[in-house]
Amino acid sequence: MSRRSLTAGELVRNAILLVLALLSLFPVYFSLVNSLKSPVQYAENLLNLPATLHPENYVLAWEQIKGPLFNSVIVTLSSVLATVIFAALSAYALALIDFPGRRLLFGLIFALLLVPDFLTLIPLYVQIKSLTLPSNYLAIILPTVAAGQPFAILVLYAAFRAMPRDMLEAARLDGAGHWALLRSIVLPLSLPILVSVSIIRLVPVWNDFLLPSLVLDEVHRTVPVALVGFQGGGAATGSTPNYGALMASYVLSALPLVVLFLFLMRSYVQGVTSGGVKA
Amino acid sequence: MTTSSQGDLPSPVVSPVLRAPQRPLRRLREGWPAYLFVLPSVVLMAYFSYVPAYTAITRAFTDWDGLNVPTFTGLENFQRALTDPVMGQAALNAGIWVVLGLLLAVIPPLLIAELIFNLRGERRQYAWRSLFVVPIVVPSLVLLLMWGTFFRSDGLINTVLSSVGLGAWRHDWLSDPSTALYSLIFLGFPYVDVFFLLLLYSGLQNIGTEVFEAGKIDGATGWRRVLYLDLPLLKPQLGLIVLLSIIGNVQYFISPLVLTSGGPGYATTVPALLMYNTATRNGEYGYAMAIAVLLMLVVIVLTGASRLIGRERS
Repeated sequence: MSRRSLTAGELVRNAILLVLALLSLFPVYFSLVNSLKSPVQYAENLLNLPATLHPENYVLAWEQIKGPLFNSVIVTLSSVLATVIFAALSAYALALIDFPGRRLLFGLIFALLLVPDFLTLIPLYVQIKSLTLPSNYLAIILPTVAAGQPFAILVLYAAFRAMPRDMLEAARLDGAGHWALLRSIVLPLSLPILVSVSIIRLVPVWNDFLLPSLVLDEVHRTVPVALVGFQGGGAATGSTPNYGALMASYVLSALPLVVLFLFLMRSYVQGVTSGGVKA
Repeated sequence: MTTSSQGDLPSPVVSPVLRAPQRPLRRLREGWPAYLFVLPSVVLMAYFSYVPAYTAITRAFTDWDGLNVPTFTGLENFQRALTDPVMGQAALNAGIWVVLGLLLAVIPPLLIAELIFNLRGERRQYAWRSLFVVPIVVPSLVLLLMWGTFFRSDGLINTVLSSVGLGAWRHDWLSDPSTALYSLIFLGFPYVDVFFLLLLYSGLQNIGTEVFEAGKIDGATGWRRVLYLDLPLLKPQLGLIVLLSIIGNVQYFISPLVLTSGGPGYATTVPALLMYNTATRNGEYGYAMAIAVLLMLVVIVLTGASRLIGRERS
């Protein structure tokens, strides 16, 4: 780290960072203050704190967003959980078991990283529409788990390969099977990376819009799909929505990630900074 | 030592590297649980990734309508895509988007990573870094829709313009063909991609003190250090960002889909949106798949090109 910096230079850097951070956080401020305004207050001023608060916007917004929020939590949690469990199983086999076809399988998984999402979007939609699934949630959970496999497997593969071999060998000699080895040694030891993979994968799953908008029905739709619905078909349309309630629904839709990042921010940052570039 | 005490458990094979190659039959027996372990992933990937990819590529050569058995039409779809003037307009839009998007993906995160990295004190750096991660809690669709309201004629941008005396610049940003595309591209100020920022910051951290010390002796301080030391040493990270940004922007179409429907006219139509609308609105799935395959080829070519350029520079 450089120690040459003058106090003036340090001051300028902090000042620029402060301005940029505030600008980055501006959408949070904008939605918070405007979520408490009546339509008249919104039309008068977009940036001030309202003199009289209108918390009833939140009642209105909650009525509309609670269903989608519930759906999003279900879909996201089960998708991420299943992604990490299946990926851990595969990564264990690829990293620590010698079996014919290992290389081929590795190649097939790696190749999927090169298949862009837009190529499979429409065929996937047609394919899922023709399936009879026990629950509409599965229409988005299953493809989401599949889409998360290559990334999760590759990260976990690298982590499992880096585990202390002698400990694993010793456990094997003591008669531990693969399942026991995975459960009692490999998974506990790699808990931090499992958490990192989960939270890194969770963000895009939570934000996913295209496939959910195609395969989920009205009752099962997730937050992004529902929010687009509230807007009433894009900003180009003439109708003016109830901005206060709209902004309140934006605030509510961010809450689950706020709670999550309160606890897991460190895991996210460490995950991205440690596993980013391998090449 | 190869026979385990419990009968049905496979013998110990832990490290394929440390062991001598074995006869196939024995390897199979010892490794058989591997097939059970990979089964869920393999089934899911086969059905939800490989099958749709195969469908996309093969149906691009047919008149598939999403329901009936398609008939082979050869290169007809591709011919149509390459001669369609709308496709030309869409490709131009995507080209502009990719170029400008590249600048937005690299410059703001790089600037902030450098600013944070040059601060004194680990803890202060950590605090700033965390602060810039906070906006990730805002769902990306919310950001998009909120900017949609900023662009309206009664929205924030016009209000701000009026209040600073630039009322003449007021606009219905998304309805004017000359501003709609640029409005969508420049949506999201100040364009701090959290992932890219963390990538660059950790790249700077990995450079190592002795390199900077050595650079200092050679007079590489301040801007000169950034130019002659940081940028060359950040090449792997920058290369990845360039790649991800290009690939991401070639196929991106959520903001035109949600905010402008590709309009006004075709001002904000990009090939990926054309592909989506061709299938979901017009039911011309075969033609849509041809556009998707062409787009994939573009992605592959651009990926290869950026790798080649990256290699030549080193």
